[in-house]
Amino acid sequence: MAISRRAFGLGLLGAAAAGTGGYLTLKDRPEFRGYLGNKAHLFGFVGGEKQAFLADPDVVHALGGYGLELDARVAGSVEMVREAALLSQKPQFLWPSSSIMVDLARKSGVPIRNDQVVLNSPIVVYTWGPVVEGLKKSGLVTVAAKGGYNQLDLKALLDAILAGKTWSDLGIDELYGRARIVSTDPNRSNSGFMFAGLVLSLMSGDVATQELLAQHGDQAKAIFRSMGLKSSSSGKLFDQYIAGGLGAEPMVIGYENQLVEWALADPARWQRVQGGVGAKPEILYPRPTVYSAHPLIVIDPAVDRLLEALTSPKLQELAWSKHGFRGPLGTVAGGTDAAIAGVRPAEIEAVLPMPSADVMLALLAQMEG
Amino acid sequence: MPKTLTSVLLMAFAMLLAACNSSNVKFSIVSGSENTVLQPIVQEFCDKQGATCTFAYEGSLDIGLGLQRPAGLEQDAVWPASSVWVDLFDSGRKVRNLTSIAQMPVILGVRKSKAVELGWVGRPVFMKDILAAVKDGKLKFLMTSATQSNSGASAYLAMLSSALGGKEVIEPGDLDNANVRETVSALLQGVERSSGSSGWLADLYVDSASKGTVYDAMWNYEATLKETDDKLKQMGKEPLYAVYPADGVAVGDSPLGFIDHGRGPEVEKFFTDLLAYLQTDAVRKRIADTGRRLPLGGSAIQAAAEPDWNFDPGKLVTSIRMPEPAVIRKALDLYQEALRKPSLTALCFDFSGSMEDQGEKQLQAAAQFLFTPEKASEVLVQWTPSDRIFVLPFDSVVRANFEATGDAAGQAQLLAAVAGQHAGGGTDMYACAQQALQQITATPGLLKYLPAIIIMTDGRTDGSADQFLQQWRSAPLRVPVFGITFGDADKSQLDSLAKATSARVFDGSGDLAGAFRAARGYN
Repeated sequence: MAISRRAFGLGLLGAAAAGTGGYLTLKDRPEFRGYLGNKAHLFGFVGGEKQAFLADPDVVHALGGYGLELDARVAGSVEMVREAALLSQKPQFLWPSSSIMVDLARKSGVPIRNDQVVLNSPIVVYTWGPVVEGLKKSGLVTVAAKGGYNQLDLKALLDAILAGKTWSDLGIDELYGRARIVSTDPNRSNSGFMFAGLVLSLMSGDVATQELLAQHGDQAKAIFRSMGLKSSSSGKLFDQYIAGGLGAEPMVIGYENQLVEWALADPARWQRVQGGVGAKPEILYPRPTVYSAHPLIVIDPAVDRLLEALTSPKLQELAWSKHGFRGPLGTVAGGTDAAIAGVRPAEIEAVLPMPSADVMLALLAQMEG
Repeated sequence: MPKTLTSVLLMAFAMLLAACNSSNVKFSIVSGSENTVLQPIVQEFCDKQGATCTFAYEGSLDIGLGLQRPAGLEQDAVWPASSVWVDLFDSGRKVRNLTSIAQMPVILGVRKSKAVELGWVGRPVFMKDILAAVKDGKLKFLMTSATQSNSGASAYLAMLSSALGGKEVIEPGDLDNANVRETVSALLQGVERSSGSSGWLADLYVDSASKGTVYDAMWNYEATLKETDDKLKQMGKEPLYAVYPADGVAVGDSPLGFIDHGRGPEVEKFFTDLLAYLQTDAVRKRIADTGRRLPLGGSAIQAAAEPDWNFDPGKLVTSIRMPEPAVIRKALDLYQEALRKPSLTALCFDFSGSMEDQGEKQLQAAAQFLFTPEKASEVLVQWTPSDRIFVLPFDSVVRANFEATGDAAGQAQLLAAVAGQHAGGGTDMYACAQQALQQITATPGLLKYLPAIIIMTDGRTDGSADQFLQQWRSAPLRVPVFGITFGDADKSQLDSLAKATSARVFDGSGDLAGAFRAARGYN
């Protein structure tokens, strides 16, 4: 390229002039503050499911615009709000994957300055094409009138599992043996923890309370006992689902955003899977389901700016379009990558609140025993 | 830009690239024997990176026990047949980034004419059909030890699951169910030869076939059966017909994981690069060509079905649900202590003069390990009351013949008897082998047992193998003669005996008790 040294110099000068003028107007705009120096370094713990989101260069850049640089270390949602070994490291923020963790953090004496749900991801069932077809025949899966997504009558499925129904009883002749659904270990991982709460509420016919736990805890326990070996993390279980296929992992519990992230991580692979002849991965939305909310727990005032950044349209849009996370109210921000169009509905009906922290702790204790 | 400058820049760039490539990383992997066939694929990557890679092959239990030790495994990566062994033993969370490379169902390969005779061709076969064939004396099979090797454990857990009548998962109480025990024990009566390694078992099948001895069947990985059949077909021998038990099989997920020894970021980077390389389409295709399943790989990647022996990696197999770790551990104990086919073992211990001092001490320590139930059960090679054990101390002659059952009192008796032996005299292991074989063949109800002779020796033996081998050939059943070398033993003599009897030799010079333990995994 023929650019003379003089012209290059003039160009630089021009840019500098524009920059100076720009500084005056931009310094009051929070999303650009960071590009002009004074970056704040924040340390805290986050659930592993948000690791890819926080490592995304676009997200790092956008946070940089707010003058923020995160040292976010991965920890289990339950342990980050309870373990002295983690809390004694003086985290400035905690970002677990369930609202109940805010209560648990408070019980652990964490000096909470503020807390707000920043992202949401519903608990879903990951399965395969032939299972969906079979469950449609047996009436357990219906297509939502609004949104056209596949919704699962989870209560009916759990009843069938407890009654020892086989796959072929449920309309799936490809698989042999009894129907089963598998989640992570509720004592270690949040998706299993949330599923335990959902199962208990469904068995109880209402959001579970201590009284209902006393009546229906055994049924929830039986569902989890039939799972056998359970994974310690949601990411691991999802990997097993993808690697094992229909024969090994017919139905597992996960977060809605996991398949989206997997598809977007390698769009060519996703296209190939969609175009292939084998069983394809499918999402079923339990009706009702529970939301895994991701509340940002602010401990240090310096984190206020992080809360502002994460709830900004720019970061909300990145969270949805690239990582599949929904916004604070379960709504979606921005468009969807063409590669995964039609995978997720914009809106989900029938969402149940989780039982209270006390009920959940009692349920976990009962299941361990 | 002048041409010379371009070439200088290009050269500098090439040198930079070369510098990046010759990483000088040293990287070691410990893996299950079934992955031997994948070593060249990994080696190619190591060469490309300029890294020095070393491979070790161990049974799943050994890999698990290695992870359980406080110091852990010395290798940088672990590649067992199934992540179950990591879940069971890696309590210190030493393994990171454990990622499944392929899916490997454990199925039953049945000699094709036998499969035809049993009416198993072209129809679903259930575990109860296999049980009926074993009970009718129409079927025997090779299967690795469930406590030492993943393929044996997988076959065993599938048997347990089936015996429970299709329950979702095996629970602790189920293992006390008398019907379940009886069914699985009857199935395990079908075991004709066992081993601690799936790869070795497949080699045994092929070697025996080449010598004219054809076993009925073998439990092994679908991919290992493909390897076996490729060899059998090349030799013009009858292939093994793939029987996928319709009531569920256990599937190994062949996971590769990193163990951080703090040797620097370039070692971990090498691991993640290796993982990425193994997940590229071209390499996945080569992995699939070995008969391994790569779900979501599609027909472009998956190996083609071979209907002549019912091999079909695209065929949907329902896998059994793995039980909780505590249940698996209990099931393995149950296998070793109650359900497996009992062992009929003759142990020839060399007490010749050269064993004096160190040798004798180590042999006594090995006997302590073998005959102390608490010690042997730690590594799941404990005896049971239905086992029968002969101990024959020898020098130039067989000094005595101690005999006991495998209960605690019997073991204590054998231990005391060995403690009374001291080194002295010449060496004739063949004399001991002959007597051991006589003891074994004279045992009533011989066919109920899995027989083996294990000879431990430290020197060059007198005598000749001919007479023993003649006697061996006319015995009513084939008894493998395993060898354990010690000190500067002449391995070739034990080797030829092992080869002639379809067995193998273990090196006991570093760890004599460990060698006995490995040998027990084959019996």
